[in-house]
Amino acid sequence: MSAQNNSGLQPPNTSAAPAPSRFRSGMMGRLLTPGLVVILVAIIAAMIYGATGGAARREAWYTVLLFVGLASSLNILLGYTGYVSFGHIVFFGFGGYIGFFAIYQLGWNLLPASLLGGAAAALLALGLGLAILRLRGAYFALATIGINEAMKALVINIPALGGPNGMVLNFGIYASYGGAAQAQWTVYWATAVLTLMVVLTSYIVKKSKFGLGLMAIREDEDAAEVMGVVAPRAKTWAYVISALFPGILGVLFFFKASNIEPAAAFNLNRSIELLVMVMLGGQGTVLGPILGAGGYQLLRTTLLTSDLALFGLKIKDIQLAVAGLLLLIIVLFIPVGFIGWLRSRSTRLRRWLE
Amino acid sequence: MKRLALLASALLIMAMLAACAGGPASPASSGGDTTTQTDSGGSEQAASAREVLIGYTASQTGKYNVESTRQVNGLNQWMKEVNDAGGIKLADGTVVTFASKSYDDESNGDRVQELYTKLATTDGADFLISPYSSGLTSTASPIAEQYEKVMITTGAADDANYTQGYTGIYQVYTPASKYLTGAVDMLKAKAPDVKKLAVVHENDKFSTGVADAVKAYAESLGYEIVLFEGYDSATTDFAPFINKIEQSAPDAILGGGHFQDGSTFARQLAEKGVDVPYMALLVAPPEPTFADLGDAAVGVVGPSQWEPLAKFTEAAASSAGLTWVGPTGDTFVSDYQAAYNDEPSYHAAGGYVAGMMLGEAIKQAGSLDSAAVKAALDSMDLLTFYGHLKFDTSAEAHGLQVGHDMVFVQWQKDGDGNLVKQVVWPAEGATADLITR
Repeated sequence: MSAQNNSGLQPPNTSAAPAPSRFRSGMMGRLLTPGLVVILVAIIAAMIYGATGGAARREAWYTVLLFVGLASSLNILLGYTGYVSFGHIVFFGFGGYIGFFAIYQLGWNLLPASLLGGAAAALLALGLGLAILRLRGAYFALATIGINEAMKALVINIPALGGPNGMVLNFGIYASYGGAAQAQWTVYWATAVLTLMVVLTSYIVKKSKFGLGLMAIREDEDAAEVMGVVAPRAKTWAYVISALFPGILGVLFFFKASNIEPAAAFNLNRSIELLVMVMLGGQGTVLGPILGAGGYQLLRTTLLTSDLALFGLKIKDIQLAVAGLLLLIIVLFIPVGFIGWLRSRSTRLRRWLE
Repeated sequence: MKRLALLASALLIMAMLAACAGGPASPASSGGDTTTQTDSGGSEQAASAREVLIGYTASQTGKYNVESTRQVNGLNQWMKEVNDAGGIKLADGTVVTFASKSYDDESNGDRVQELYTKLATTDGADFLISPYSSGLTSTASPIAEQYEKVMITTGAADDANYTQGYTGIYQVYTPASKYLTGAVDMLKAKAPDVKKLAVVHENDKFSTGVADAVKAYAESLGYEIVLFEGYDSATTDFAPFINKIEQSAPDAILGGGHFQDGSTFARQLAEKGVDVPYMALLVAPPEPTFADLGDAAVGVVGPSQWEPLAKFTEAAASSAGLTWVGPTGDTFVSDYQAAYNDEPSYHAAGGYVAGMMLGEAIKQAGSLDSAAVKAALDSMDLLTFYGHLKFDTSAEAHGLQVGHDMVFVQWQKDGDGNLVKQVVWPAEGATADLITR
């Protein structure tokens, strides 16, 4: 661990075109940083903690891990490329629908169905990316909302996907996964491992030349093109990578819930919550979405199930207001997010907080 | 040195995660809304007293808030009454009283499984009540079944919930497939000149189930469906649908969805002065607050699971050969009004009846054992102030409500020009004739 690690120390915008020799010194060397250890420890600790306290704790941590995975996948587009997607949840819903259809209608096993869901979401992103990634700024953000709503309307009008009724799995299906209890454990572990993969992918992208290209686009797309970054291609691949994982996570989520409906699959609120989580933790950092999503979900769970009272009002009755207030304070005073703020305060911390 | 720092940071992160987790996960600090109505006479039988915990999630926030709150009020009223009466005595002499624990599901399914798992495991709920709405109930059902808890569903009308192989889920409501078919019967009997129907419904699980069933039923009776359209749940501007209605010129509009969209739809139809003589909407019209629409509410018909005006009596039960259970409708209404200063809607009655059925099944079974309570529910055939209750016991549709029928209400003006709700169908329970809008 020596000089080559320093690439992580520099602010991304100044390292857009580092000396080529540094890159030849080995991908592995560049990837093994203290920051990676922090990230791995955080995810694996959460995974194990969630699995060792009975079903109720597992369920709470399932939600946490799911949203860490979703927020980290959004960060690959939002954080590195700077393209704000309000409709990221469309990949969760679309992948979920395709996979659920495979399980419900075609009788597929969960594993191939999940992979199909992920592939479908990635393909959708490929097609969409070529079209809408030409838009910039607010226009792109608006287009992503439109796509989510259009997809919801489309699904509602396809009878094979259950139309507005959606689809409901027969309880008997869990028997082939060792019973409902075992099926929930399977979904938990699959989600945990996927979340780990999303975070690792996010880290590898950040450390790669491809990632540097994305960050160059974020800082100034025209300048990046002049410097040799093929912006349309790079952006589309970032979009595809960020769509793949939500597709798989969606299949797992709806399989576990035993039913899927358009309103639940293409829930724009959930999409906006994802943006908040990424902003909270710090966009463009790998650790940021992990802490943002984890912190946000744990806060919500705690408030929802809390007995605490404030001026005679039970916090659980006003938990949305409390969560909103906290978000407002964070966005007002540390707009770069928690990890971004820490990184800006101390150069020493930067190598630990990727 | 570097290794040491690495280790320290790893430990720090783990400690942070553990600290964060302390709140939601540890059973010792588990929160939630525990409502206990203690029985003052219970202390004499302290040795053989047992408190039964009923778990559920309520939509304290989000779009189901109105309906869900009434449902919870109804359940709480039943609990208070049964506890004040000294609880229920089991076969072994144990006297059980009831308490409940609930969480906010925010009207969406993201945390429903998490919260029901918590209720069924760490909170130790003995029995479960469903969330409000068919979608959330579908999500909660695998958890109830998995932990072998009996779950009484109320506010979950969609038929599909009950055909998925569950053995311990029981429905209080008339299923969606029978929700609006009575309106077609009513039109056939009371308004024979009606030929063309428009079905405009919310595009969600429940409303679409109702709309599909009513379309098939109306067509089988020879009606022409001139418009069949679904609108998004979040619709606030119905202008496109109103234009289509004007173009297709139906004699009656059937449809709607839930409270907010239904009342908005009715208001905008009145504002545009759309001339359609009959209109029946789901969910919204039976709500007492529907009267806030003023003149826009006049003539709007709604199917209701139950109405305060509906008279089911002990005498009717004995003549039909059914067992009568619980208070009369008048007693329920006056007690509810005294407790909540609000007229009970059918959601409140559903919540009350869900509790009452559970209590009745425990009484019949003489035990708290899930299997015994299920057997008692399977053989239940009752008349209550809410109407007839009986469950399908076949393997294909276990727990589906097959005893209960809908009543139809219409907002009309009384002699003083005040808005009042009248029962217009079925004919034997009618308090007024059907009028046009």
